[in-house]
Amino acid sequence: MITFQINDTPVEAEPGWTVLETARHYGIEIPTLCYHEAVSPSGACRLCMVELRDGDWSKLVASCIFPVAEGIRIYTETERIDNVRRWIFEMLLAEVPASPEIREMATQYGVESTRFSVKDPDEDCMVCGLCTRACEEIVGLSAISLMSRGVHKKVGAPFSRPTEVCVACGCCVTICPTGAMRRLIESVRETPEVTLTPLAV
Amino acid sequence: MNNNAKIGIFLCKCGQKIEPMVDLPVLKKSVAGVDGVACCDILPYPCLEPGLNEINQKIQELGLNRIIVAGCESRLMLKKFEQKMEANGLQKGQIDVINLRGHVAGVSDLSPKEKAEKGSKLIKASVAEMIAFTPSTRKSVSIERPPVVLGGGIASFAAAHELAQEGIDFMLSIPERDPGVILDHLCKTYPGERTHYPRLKKIIDEVLESPHTTLLQPGKLAGLAGITGDYTLSFAVPDAMTRRQYAAGTIIACLDGELVPPGPEFGYDGKTVLCQPEFEEMLYEEKIPDGHTVFWVCDYETGQPENAQLSARAAFNMGKFILQNNPKAGVVILYNEQMPLPVTAAERKFARKMGIIWVPYDKSVRPILQADFVNFGSINDHLEHELPWDQIVLSPIRKMGEKSRTAAKILGILHEDKEFLSTHHAKVRPEMVGREESYLAGSARYACDLTDALNQGRKAGKKNAEMIKKSRGGALFVPQVVCIVDTDKCVACGQCQELCDCGGIGVAELVGGGLPRVVDPMVCTGGGTCAAACPYNALTLQNNTNAQREARVAALAGQMADHEFVAYACSWAGLPAADNAGNMGLKYDPAIHILGVPCLGQLDPSIMARAFLEGAPGLLLVGCSPEDCHHSFGIDHAWSRVNLMKKLFVFCGFDRRRITLAHADMNKPEELIKTMESFAKAIKALGPIEKTPENMSKLQSIYRLVKSNSRVRLLLSAGLRRPWEHTYRGDQRCALQYEREDFISALKEEFLKSRLETVMTKEKRPFNIRELASYLTEEKKSVAEQLGELVSEGHVNVQYKEGKPLYLSVN
Repeated sequence: MITFQINDTPVEAEPGWTVLETARHYGIEIPTLCYHEAVSPSGACRLCMVELRDGDWSKLVASCIFPVAEGIRIYTETERIDNVRRWIFEMLLAEVPASPEIREMATQYGVESTRFSVKDPDEDCMVCGLCTRACEEIVGLSAISLMSRGVHKKVGAPFSRPTEVCVACGCCVTICPTGAMRRLIESVRETPEVTLTPLAV
Repeated sequence: MNNNAKIGIFLCKCGQKIEPMVDLPVLKKSVAGVDGVACCDILPYPCLEPGLNEINQKIQELGLNRIIVAGCESRLMLKKFEQKMEANGLQKGQIDVINLRGHVAGVSDLSPKEKAEKGSKLIKASVAEMIAFTPSTRKSVSIERPPVVLGGGIASFAAAHELAQEGIDFMLSIPERDPGVILDHLCKTYPGERTHYPRLKKIIDEVLESPHTTLLQPGKLAGLAGITGDYTLSFAVPDAMTRRQYAAGTIIACLDGELVPPGPEFGYDGKTVLCQPEFEEMLYEEKIPDGHTVFWVCDYETGQPENAQLSARAAFNMGKFILQNNPKAGVVILYNEQMPLPVTAAERKFARKMGIIWVPYDKSVRPILQADFVNFGSINDHLEHELPWDQIVLSPIRKMGEKSRTAAKILGILHEDKEFLSTHHAKVRPEMVGREESYLAGSARYACDLTDALNQGRKAGKKNAEMIKKSRGGALFVPQVVCIVDTDKCVACGQCQELCDCGGIGVAELVGGGLPRVVDPMVCTGGGTCAAACPYNALTLQNNTNAQREARVAALAGQMADHEFVAYACSWAGLPAADNAGNMGLKYDPAIHILGVPCLGQLDPSIMARAFLEGAPGLLLVGCSPEDCHHSFGIDHAWSRVNLMKKLFVFCGFDRRRITLAHADMNKPEELIKTMESFAKAIKALGPIEKTPENMSKLQSIYRLVKSNSRVRLLLSAGLRRPWEHTYRGDQRCALQYEREDFISALKEEFLKSRLETVMTKEKRPFNIRELASYLTEEKKSVAEQLGELVSEGHVNVQYKEGKPLYLSVN
């Protein structure tokens, strides 16, 4: 058993647990985007940042991948973290302005507009890679993957063509935190020969 | 009886996503006391390490052997739970995940207490299933016998080579043993591949010299029986009545396709207008042509556009050979503009240097041969240009070929009447896909070139070697969810074999009268429509049985209020759509209680009947759209079963709309909401089926009929295919034609019988004909007829009182 503190409350954890898992076990909520219980964490979105204090210095760590350690002091709601989260949301609003899910979350943190330039007003994918992890780890295929590097990184099938590797199970759509996969899956799965016509309301 | 089930239920708070919406303490109280439930805990996150730790501790402390987690999507979470609890001996089927968040918490405006009640209904249904579930013991597969490579295709050598390198003794059946002769004939099936011959020769030599090789005497394949690890192969012996038999552990079938020249409409004459294989023979045997050789890649015109690139490659290789030996010759490859060029940039450069000219032609102007010239429409200027020719070489038409077809039939791998052997691309998770690539290789599987064929062979060899090594190390196990045949019940009607899409069903023995069926667990993909179709209930989908599903639907339907109903949603369309609807926060009628099922084809009609018998006012089945069923024909089979139920409802005077099939798409949750709302409205308008003794007796009769009447079940599964299809496998027939002819009348007869039985079993007293006829409001004549049949079948005893017959059920 490892004992340490979250928000000045002593908590116990087994070796191998992460800070996020321990916090959630004790009912302390930490917001996440690129994290899902079903797949391995990747620490991509930085929304789950917590402050780790040691004496008079402190640093920010991504709680979803930070393993617990004896005696550390973790704070989940401090000014510094709040500031970081708002920055992240502001950047996300510029990066994925078309995602209603992100907009809603940002509003909860008091972020309603962004000072960054919006490159593409229709973009809704924040390239967190949750869908590709789901495809690999849950389904056992890798029909989709992250393509290109840096600012050009995007999610898709090889050569951006529909692929017959995709079995259209919809795990990526279910797991996607921004709702982008609903659009993206259509360029990945082979379109069925018969498609349902949308019903009139 | 609770089947030794010790069930642990774990309710997930899921942060703010479940706890505030569902009254978890109320839910806990309502399910904790149910028979079989050993513990019920509310955990913050059962899916995270701390939660999993607690669950695993509980499993050890209380000896839990079934786990139900009420949290989120089972499609996403189940695998993690299975992996994390495997160390505690829990297997597939022993863990169930209920989507409390996506199917209950967020999708309606009910109060937390009401939502807890809805959740408890779903959990209680799962408990019922868990109690009805008997986990099978894990069975290992032993493969002691050697693998046999047969079929005579060129891939045999690649497969054999791989096995030899892995140090596994194997048997090889090939018609020809001289490498020179083998290579000489190869251009008939794989034209334009000479560059690979030296390498291939080395492989062939190595195989023939390997100490692991046992060459079988050449002979015609006559039969195959058994399953992986225990096959019996037989070959016909010329001029003898007996057959040579071999015991085999695994089979690798290497079958080559056949190439035939296109018809005279392409100008084919066998002299100056040739097909690729003949041209290659000519090239090597006689001479290199001097004049203009035009390769017409005519696959788009022969109706095989998918093979155009193969033919173009072959043409390119032959063209190279011509120019290398005779630089003065002219080589032109004429191809349809729709075909992407199958050559690399370097090869194009090379082609330019050598003088091979690629000429695309307009797809709407078909090239026409005339003496010495061929016309084609140019895509640059729309003029009809002419190419001079001395020799035209056409693409071959590729197909499986009769020889391969016969062999495939004997081996039981010919599933559908198609041009090639390969089944459709299975759109299921990798663990559910059959092992086609480990037992089948060559161009009879699908049109391919030599490299591809050899690769397939190598892959098959490798997979077999892996499997054999695993089994020898005692680490090869039968998958958990596969079909098993009860040989005592199987009457060898063969229906399942015709329906089965994975090819896992074969015959048990080579000779004998009726050949009971046997399922090869290493091939079976657990689709389960065969089990739901078996007229004699001889097939069971292990660990996912009909009894389990029936228990679950019965428990759920029994709890339904007047307007509430059950909806089955398949894992590929309905369930993901419902999950996504829950994720998106869409709202729908709380009367809908969703049950997931891997494929609607797994639903036996008895499950549908049972739902109504237990009091459900309606049953909705949401599956894929017909052409998009991930298990090929599951949705069509479900369609037939739903129609059967509808017909029976009409006989009973119930509304046919109470059971309805619907189609969904996983990415269109809004459409699913419309489907469900519409059905919910219809059911509300209809109200429940009144529970009068007469109605209950009718429902009981429907259930008895569809569950155990083998005549009805046999007729049903014979007409299961889509009515618009032209060809049917085996004894199957067009459902529509079938229905008009015999199905309805047979159904009427059998239903009357079933009703008579229900009445007589219930009251356990002798009846006379008039009494029964008036009770069932049927004509005396037909009642008498059916009673006669029941007597002759031994279900009913007849006794005479004052010269008049009295009937009494034997039960």
